[in-house]
Amino acid sequence: MNRESSAGYITRAPRSSGLADVLEILLDRGLVIDAFVRVSLVGIELLTIDLRVVIASVDTYLRFAEAVNRLDLQQTSDAKGLPDLFEKGGEEMAEKETKGAMEGGMDAIKEKMGLGGRGGDEEDDDKERSGRGSRSRGNNR
Amino acid sequence: MSRFYLYGVTRPREVPKRLETKGISLIAAGDRAAVVSDLDEGPVEATRRNLLAHADVVEQLHEDAVVLPARFGHVLESREELLELLGLPEIGRLLERHAATCELTLKGKYEESVLAEVGAELQPLRAAYRAGPSVEAGIALGEAVGQGLAARRARDESLVLDALRGLVLDVVVGEPAGELAAFDLAVLVERGGVESVEAEVEELAARLSPPLHFKLVGPLPPYSFVRLSAPAVV
Repeated sequence: MNRESSAGYITRAPRSSGLADVLEILLDRGLVIDAFVRVSLVGIELLTIDLRVVIASVDTYLRFAEAVNRLDLQQTSDAKGLPDLFEKGGEEMAEKETKGAMEGGMDAIKEKMGLGGRGGDEEDDDKERSGRGSRSRGNNR
Repeated sequence: MSRFYLYGVTRPREVPKRLETKGISLIAAGDRAAVVSDLDEGPVEATRRNLLAHADVVEQLHEDAVVLPARFGHVLESREELLELLGLPEIGRLLERHAATCELTLKGKYEESVLAEVGAELQPLRAAYRAGPSVEAGIALGEAVGQGLAARRARDESLVLDALRGLVLDVVVGEPAGELAAFDLAVLVERGGVESVEAEVEELAARLSPPLHFKLVGPLPPYSFVRLSAPAVV
């Protein structure tokens, strides 16, 4: 694996650039001065529902099983072109994953910061559904 | 009576024009200053726009000076409250600690092919599922995959932490969120140390990608390293 190919696996952003980035750091981290500051919020309820990742649901197991089986079949369906096929599949997946889950149209969102950019909304919905990890300790309210 | 929304605490300085036109101002006391905007009655709405605006203000100011970013939603009811806050000894301590630091967040996420790698060691369960893809066989296989993935996640998180340890001042280990999430780290570095972390992440990607994708964000204000009283994050 050379440097060039590993670069495709790194998403680099100089600043937090979408709601997903910002939610976690602004709602769970940052300076809190309890004695002096009144936290006065509306609209947070939806964001703080405890959705932390739990790999213990039947749905998740079945999805994993299906994925393993599917990847298995892909890998064995064409013995002759096996390495090529697998590599190609991997790259396509990498691209899809990177765009969908990691980048989320980062630059586009950055330009539209605060304007409710389309690409950003999708990413945000994803993130809210999939839950935020360390922020769900019940100290946000 | 004026009410203030608190973005963070910094050293007295000029507010960039771009922020000034948005109503951001500094209220200084000695060598400390609160970054605020005037606020009408009523609660702060946690809208996308407001959250991004808060981040924009503290991140812009952090570009050339120390900023202790406040958590979203902090409201001070009077100027006196604000000055009292600025006078806290902890504020002075944090301003000194973070004089030349920044935070980088590093998240890892697997692409789906990790499931094939994990599943490769589960031949009997895979065969059973393919022979008869019942719910029971699916759960048995999926549960084993989930355990394999958890082990993989723990391994990769330690690898990354070990690789970064010598380069950073402090680390906050968050809980990765999402079925294929691998790790969620915040590291505190000297402003001059960003490049060495970038280089190390490239080394890590060369070792661990695919299936691991990295997302490195920053330099940010030290969001995860300004706790006063609450216990350290996980």
